[in-house]
Amino acid sequence: MIHDAQMDYYGTRLATCSSDRSVKIFDVRNGGQILIADLRGHEGPVWQVAWAHPMYGNILASCSYDRKVIIWREENGTWEKSHEHAGHDSSVNSVCWAPHDYGLILACGSSDGAISLLTYTGEGQWEVKKINNAHTIGCNAVSWAPAVIPGSLIDQPSGQKPNYIKKFASGGCDNLIKLWKEEEDGQWKEEQKLEAHSDWVRDVAWAPSIGLPTSTIASCSQDGRVFIWTCDDASGNTWSPKLLHKFNDVVWHVSWSITANILAVSGGDNKVTLWKESVDGQWVCISDVNKGQGSVSASVTEGQQNEQ
Amino acid sequence: MEKMSRVTTALGGSVLTGRTMHCHLDAPANAISVCRDAAQVVVAGRSIFKIYAIEEEQFVEKLNLRVGRKPSLNLSCADVVWHQMDENLLATAATNGVVVTWNLGRPSRNKQDQLFTEHKRTVNKVCFHPTEAHVLLSGSQDGFMKCFDLRRKDSVSTFSGQSESVRDVQFSIRDYFTFASTFENGNVQLWDIRRPDRCERMFTAHNGPVFCCDWHPEDRGWLATGGRDKMVKVWDMTTHRAKEMHCVQTIASVARVKWRPECRHHLATCSMMVDHNIYVWDVRRPFVPAAMFEEHRDVTTGIAWRHPHDPSFLLSGSKDSSLCQHLFRDASQPVERANPEGLCYGLFGDLAFAAKESLVAAESGRKPYTGDRRHPIFFKRKLDPAEPFAGLASSALSVFETEPGGGAMRWFVDTAERYALAGRPLAELCDHNAKVARELGRNQVAQTWTMLRTIYCSPGLLPTANLSHSVGKGGSCGLQLMNSFNLKDMAPGLGSETRLDRSKGDARSDTVLLDSSATLITNEDNEETEGSDVPADYLLGDVEGEDDELYLLDPEHTHPEEPECVLPQEAFPLRHEIVDTPPGPEHLQDKADSPHVSGSEADVASLAPVDSSFSLLSVSHALYDSRLPPDFFSVLVRDMLHFYAEQGDVQMAVSVLIVLGERVRKDIDEQTQEHWYTSYIDLLQRFRLWNVSNEVVKLSTSRAVSCLNQASTTLHVNCSHCKRPMSSRGWVCDRCHRCASMCAVCHHVVKGLFVWCQGCSHGGHLQHIMKWLEGSSHCPAGCGHLCEYS
Repeated sequence: MIHDAQMDYYGTRLATCSSDRSVKIFDVRNGGQILIADLRGHEGPVWQVAWAHPMYGNILASCSYDRKVIIWREENGTWEKSHEHAGHDSSVNSVCWAPHDYGLILACGSSDGAISLLTYTGEGQWEVKKINNAHTIGCNAVSWAPAVIPGSLIDQPSGQKPNYIKKFASGGCDNLIKLWKEEEDGQWKEEQKLEAHSDWVRDVAWAPSIGLPTSTIASCSQDGRVFIWTCDDASGNTWSPKLLHKFNDVVWHVSWSITANILAVSGGDNKVTLWKESVDGQWVCISDVNKGQGSVSASVTEGQQNEQ
Repeated sequence: MEKMSRVTTALGGSVLTGRTMHCHLDAPANAISVCRDAAQVVVAGRSIFKIYAIEEEQFVEKLNLRVGRKPSLNLSCADVVWHQMDENLLATAATNGVVVTWNLGRPSRNKQDQLFTEHKRTVNKVCFHPTEAHVLLSGSQDGFMKCFDLRRKDSVSTFSGQSESVRDVQFSIRDYFTFASTFENGNVQLWDIRRPDRCERMFTAHNGPVFCCDWHPEDRGWLATGGRDKMVKVWDMTTHRAKEMHCVQTIASVARVKWRPECRHHLATCSMMVDHNIYVWDVRRPFVPAAMFEEHRDVTTGIAWRHPHDPSFLLSGSKDSSLCQHLFRDASQPVERANPEGLCYGLFGDLAFAAKESLVAAESGRKPYTGDRRHPIFFKRKLDPAEPFAGLASSALSVFETEPGGGAMRWFVDTAERYALAGRPLAELCDHNAKVARELGRNQVAQTWTMLRTIYCSPGLLPTANLSHSVGKGGSCGLQLMNSFNLKDMAPGLGSETRLDRSKGDARSDTVLLDSSATLITNEDNEETEGSDVPADYLLGDVEGEDDELYLLDPEHTHPEEPECVLPQEAFPLRHEIVDTPPGPEHLQDKADSPHVSGSEADVASLAPVDSSFSLLSVSHALYDSRLPPDFFSVLVRDMLHFYAEQGDVQMAVSVLIVLGERVRKDIDEQTQEHWYTSYIDLLQRFRLWNVSNEVVKLSTSRAVSCLNQASTTLHVNCSHCKRPMSSRGWVCDRCHRCASMCAVCHHVVKGLFVWCQGCSHGGHLQHIMKWLEGSSHCPAGCGHLCEYS
């Protein structure tokens, strides 16, 4: 069973991960799907994969039920394990790379309730920071905020690294979405707690900021609801939820298009729907792909078949 | 962790009831075994050997079998087994190689019955025959298995595995004479109890030691084995060669495996190290456990289902000195947590979607979904042949491609590549971009460009372009047709953008006004406008929609339509000046021109000659200043840019920003501009449009953006005297304390242009060197080098 599929930065490669412990990379250029790598190294189902920004090379992170996070790197056409992080006490459910402006930073959310942040410090070394008890019972998803620089860029002396405020969102089994912010001393602090879901939060997706003055987060949950959270004020403290839709089944994924105006939602009813905000601020479904046709008969046969 | 659910199961005569519970033992347990009445459990370990009664709410210690004055090694148990036919009979395997049987029916405190001291090393496993009351089997570290008849004092037969050590022995449940044994070298052997000379069958089951095995309670040929290679394998032993049916991958070496009663495909495992949890697997789903019990804090050493026909109660003993009863209902279910779907929005607007195949396959014959008409997004589905999964929990991976014209990002790439952002007069840029947008079917954007052109450019050129049209009558007719055609095309785009239309309307109204005031020429297009002599109607009314579009369309249409049209040569220098003027006067200029050019930057053919607009400026000022403040349009344009940016089309925002340059820059705050620029550049780079991205960086006015191009470019300067790297300080070399760039002719420090000979590295002011070299070909510094100046 495939648990996640991610396209790389240029949209030319697709990485999938699956229960059979494998991570596969496909070339999807020109409409084809050619398997170019099969990465073996996990000892349990692999839940999620994430591509790093190409300025750091071809780097893929994967997280698994075996409590490990593996960072893979392609060198001279071959993929190899470059780092293994085994700092969690339970299944690692989600990985997400920070915006490239921050350097190579990976956030990992685990069923042990903790979120760990791996920062590349050069020469194959990774520094680990851990937020313990981020979500009770477990953390299901992490998503970084796009890189935003406080104040005007103009004031920054050129050549000096601008002082970014790093933020990310996480969703967990405590039905909450939490926003985390890095303090000046490098410690991560809970900034916001967004409460609206009535069951486990399955996925959070911070919208890419393409010319938008507002910050937007999409979240979906076991309770079948998808919320769009927006924050208009500069301080980032007041977030207001808007219910996108209530589905009849678990919603597993939300994914933004790169221009952040279309949201793809996939749910337990085996549908992918695309949503767009209309001029009057309402979210409307503009298209759906129904995967559930004939699902009734399919589910009957399901139990009798064998998996390879 | 305390879960209070309770399960009661009726099994024939007896009733099982209980809840998840645990009790503390005095010492770590090595093995447990359940009495056949399912009401008692025996726990054995290095320093513990006790029987507990399983009551509804708790475990109650019933009997301590460790009696006697001095602790004997015979009591250090590696394994324990309770006879499934005789409630009073137990056997233990001691770490010193002794096999002990216990009779609970003995009246004395010491229940020890028989002692077999035949094994040389630790006995790993003891096993009673399932149906024969007196037959006991043992497997030891010394590599031998022994079969005992409890009625005799010593073993009946000895089986040699020809191997290092036996880890497990299990009588087959169905075949009376058969038992299986597993070995440290990875082999599994099948024996006939009557044939001690050699095993019936042997095969290598695992890579590394096989720690355990278990016969399926119902399926006669099925044997599950677990090994250090972290795998549980299910073998079909009925066939000629043992056939691997299933293989479950766990995350740690498998210490125990037990089939779950009444569930054909379920088995429970616990691990030897690292992992303290107990898992229940569905062997058909080999990667994710069906259930997980997380109660233990140390390695689980013994697991046993409470009753051979009840699937809900599992008992376990652990190194953490606790005994647990687990309820299947209380188990956490990792499968439920597992995400069955993967979804990713691709760069080009395509979607990758992975879902359960059973659900997908059923509809593979379907036609692509057609979206609703206003937002036509189509999907093409392609099944990936490279995913060889089938059945219960497999997924299909599909990539949906958006077809052209839908949500695909192809337009973005095309637009980015074809837009002209600089290097030509504003009007041409606008026209060009409008044309590009139109060709890509983005009418709204095209219209915006056209509008920008009309707002910001001197309309002076348009009539000239139209001149050729009006000369021939056919020309104006063709134009007319073109307009109506385009209008139809544009309708949907307009609908979604009311605010822009409004602003357009406002912008246009004054042109209309001009038209009506100067209706020198009759034209079908103008008839509507002519109808109204009151300009106020147009300024306030909503009617302008249609004719606005007509006006808007025309200028840019005439232009690309007539590439051969001759533009007056003077127009170019004139326009260049305009490009640099601030928006205020310029758009006045626009007005100023209009009346003289018979008021039509629209499609009205003009016979009047084009005049230089400068002389007219003062007139227009007087006439129109009161009506239209200079920054009237800037606000609209700013709103328009924000609108596009919010729509996700930051490309448009940035392109307009660059093309219009100073005209709008001051109206939009720096940070927003910068944000647009960086967003757009980032997007361009994702699409690998390096050239465009570089152009944007170059053309951007924001310092933070334009300095992007200077990033990671280093300039190394060496001192011309000591040839060592200069510090960043400037003119003076740190090491030799001399000014680095002295003119060899005048011996002053050269500031500005420094020319030097690449051969001897001497040089100086350009003028001086040039002069010097006119007279001499030798280096002015006197180094003797023959310098060349080219």
